[in-house]
Amino acid sequence: MKFGNLLIAGVVTGSIYAVFAVCIAVWYRVSNILNLAVGDFAMVGALGVDYLFRVDSWPLPAAIATTLAIVGAFAYGYDQVVLRLAQDGRRRQEGIVITFFFTFALSFFIDGVAKILFGTDVHAAPGLWNGNSLTFATGLHLERAGLLVLGCALISGLMFAIYIRYTLSGKAMEACGENNLGARIVGIDTRQYRRIIFVGTAMLAAVFGIVESPITGYTFLSGATISVTGFIAAAYGGFQKPGRALVAGIAIGILEALLGGYVSTQYADTLMYGILAALVLARPRAMGFESAVGG
Amino acid sequence: MVTSKVTPAAGVRARPARSRSLRGPLGTSGLVVAAGLIVMSFYAAQYIGSVVLLAFTYAIVTAGMAVQIGFSQQIAFSQSVFMGLGAYGVAVLNTNLNMPSLLAALAVTVASGLVALVLGSVVTRASGLALAVATIMLPLIAVGYLSSAGYLGGSVGMPLTGSLWPASSPQAMAVGNGMITVAVIGVVVFVASRILSSDIGLELYVLGVDERMAAAMGVSTPRRKLELFVLGSMFAALGGAVYAGTQLFVPATLVDPTAELSLLMMLFIGGRRSILGAVAGALIIEYVSGASTWVSVNILVVEGVLITVVLLVDPEGLAGIVSSLAARLRRARRAGGAAADGGPAPAGAGSAGTGHTGTGSAGTGDAVAGVTPEEVAAADRRTSAFGRSWQARAGGRAGAPLLECTGVTKDYGGLRVLDSIGLSLPARGLFGLCGPNGAGKTTLLGVIGGSVPPVAGRVLLDGADITRLPPQQRFHLGVSRTFQAVHLIAGRSVLDNVAVSCLSSHRSSLAAGIVRSRLAQARDKAAEALDYLGMGRLSGMEVSTLTLENQRMVEFARAIAARPRLLLLDEPASGLSEPQRERLKEVLRTVGDMTCVLLVEHDLGLVAQITERIFVLASGQLVFEGSPEEFRNSAVVSSLLVGL
Repeated sequence: MKFGNLLIAGVVTGSIYAVFAVCIAVWYRVSNILNLAVGDFAMVGALGVDYLFRVDSWPLPAAIATTLAIVGAFAYGYDQVVLRLAQDGRRRQEGIVITFFFTFALSFFIDGVAKILFGTDVHAAPGLWNGNSLTFATGLHLERAGLLVLGCALISGLMFAIYIRYTLSGKAMEACGENNLGARIVGIDTRQYRRIIFVGTAMLAAVFGIVESPITGYTFLSGATISVTGFIAAAYGGFQKPGRALVAGIAIGILEALLGGYVSTQYADTLMYGILAALVLARPRAMGFESAVGG
Repeated sequence: MVTSKVTPAAGVRARPARSRSLRGPLGTSGLVVAAGLIVMSFYAAQYIGSVVLLAFTYAIVTAGMAVQIGFSQQIAFSQSVFMGLGAYGVAVLNTNLNMPSLLAALAVTVASGLVALVLGSVVTRASGLALAVATIMLPLIAVGYLSSAGYLGGSVGMPLTGSLWPASSPQAMAVGNGMITVAVIGVVVFVASRILSSDIGLELYVLGVDERMAAAMGVSTPRRKLELFVLGSMFAALGGAVYAGTQLFVPATLVDPTAELSLLMMLFIGGRRSILGAVAGALIIEYVSGASTWVSVNILVVEGVLITVVLLVDPEGLAGIVSSLAARLRRARRAGGAAADGGPAPAGAGSAGTGHTGTGSAGTGDAVAGVTPEEVAAADRRTSAFGRSWQARAGGRAGAPLLECTGVTKDYGGLRVLDSIGLSLPARGLFGLCGPNGAGKTTLLGVIGGSVPPVAGRVLLDGADITRLPPQQRFHLGVSRTFQAVHLIAGRSVLDNVAVSCLSSHRSSLAAGIVRSRLAQARDKAAEALDYLGMGRLSGMEVSTLTLENQRMVEFARAIAARPRLLLLDEPASGLSEPQRERLKEVLRTVGDMTCVLLVEHDLGLVAQITERIFVLASGQLVFEGSPEEFRNSAVVSSLLVGL
């Protein structure tokens, strides 16, 4: 039973990592920028809803809608101001390293603002589906929030997969990252795609923050941790393949849960990162690390 | 590789080499030390003194990062871990063994170098993003370990009692600690700038631009990457040791990923490729974070906005902004005095000295379209110093073939790209390699050059088996190549681009770059090669301002500057106009007298006119080998290449 419960817990945390990995990978495909601020949007989602609901006593649906709208508007504004200046100007800033730093800076900024607004304590959005954890006949337990997370992950993952594989606009989106100039020559508005996916992934991250925070609880600094794990999972898909990023995210979640359950709770993370590092070094090619850093 | 960035070219060879290559680093480090001494003498015990002290502590780390991460583009997220190693090391040695902190700092730095050597020999096998991802695990692992390591103070941290300069009065201790820190930062800045301005600095720059190109130019990339990792880690450990010895407390947060990000912020705000910039970045962040209560509470917001604005203005940070302002000022002054002195002013060499290359934003408007190489008579070429030294090297065993390939086979996945290719070339002459697109021509050049390992077969150079040698070792044996797409180092002058293949530093260690620089000799050799091709007047220009023909010629000059015995040219004529092709043909003819040239080319007319023997590849098989005469009359060739 222990194994089964660990597996369930692992899949739930893993699906969170997977969603953030997919957000990073999908946007990287469009813009060739690694978004390290994606976890911070999740944090804003969770703490924003908590603040409006608990402190300002808004009705829950209004709190959620407002928070999502604010996240979306902020992402849109960031794209319009900073990314436009950085990417669409006369001197386009290229190279993974420099563009990476724009999202670092964004992450710092969001964390700083969150600290001012929400303080430094651990909070969480109110549970959306309260009640005892669901128990199956065989003694397996699954928290209701966990089921929600799994459901959302499944739906959003499927939506992305269908969008990329079966729609024309999904194909066009792929073309943006493959060859930006080429895509523009054949009439694809790459900037529009960059904007839509950026705003979309920011709002999706916020949704996951709201759904997941009852399980773990967030502080203003939680975003960075989530982003880093998502980043690592996305890296195992070479930052290019959302499907592989999804699998990697879930695998990391399961690994973490099993290490915590069977080896040592104290050193679970240390061990996990050690194993992940060893994997990168042993089989860089197989892990999808062909791309080199340039510029 | 060529971007639209325009940069003051590094290096004008007329100046005396030694004095200039030393003056830059000494000046840079002198400036930092002088400023530091003034602050420490008068304000050591005051608030501003403590800010500068802390900033210098971080600057020790960021200076190493400028070499490793900014200049050589080896992105490793392990600095905070080594900083922690240095700090905790000093704390443990001081508290548990009563070792004086200063001695402990030295011991810990050396020990960290050894740790970095072991760790680096595993980690630096990865390149690019894999290196970044593998090393980002290190701070995560360290945080997890520290939080449960009771003897190190757990998730709080560890106090220590002995400062670097033990003194009875706080005033004397502050001054002493300050002076030691200033001395350390002076040495660190000198070492870092000296490496960047030496011939090894040029190697590192190429490594940062393109690892494969660096290997083809003889740079032993695995070794340099390891050395960079050790250097960055030792500087970080030294910074950590100074931190422990001056702050007298090691917080556990020193090693977490946020600390790593703060260090990177300092580097990128100051200017990632500039040592002075790295120091300035640390000073600015430390100063700003203590400037007012509002700022120190909201430091994350301030840092986020600050770095966004700085990077939007110039990706090279403050150093880039300053150097492009300086360039603009110089241009304005020159425009004023142009009528008086006439001739073109040498492009600013100043940026090479301090290590950063800056990005003067002159725009592409400066492109020099009209400049063409001068005509040099073939006879003059042969008798020039360059021609003679080349002929002396080319030699080879009389009668025996220089290059022999037997049974060379290469698969990509299930696709056989080369199928048991055998060819043999003598010590001199021009040879053509033709074939339709996808025939395997470039792959065969890669197999001979060493960038593509064959699955079967042997490659012999002068009778010695080189099949398993990496590209850089083949380069040293005299194999030199150009690339199908122009691969030049943007941001550097024509002279430096050519000098890359004339460096004699490949076998020396990174540390040798501190002691001496033979960049001037390499530039002299490069200048000979440029003169040989009649391109001397281009040498001071930045490569991305050149026309495609001149860029190809620079690449060609770089390939011959090492006086190769075997020259591999991948489509040197593509993109050139008819008159440009004529000039190229003439040059190739004289080069063919010096050395063995294998030429991949789609222009069949050109190949048939100048080569003495032609090989034709189709679907990975050698389908034709013969003289130009036979080539013209061959039915196989016409059906394959002419489509008849």
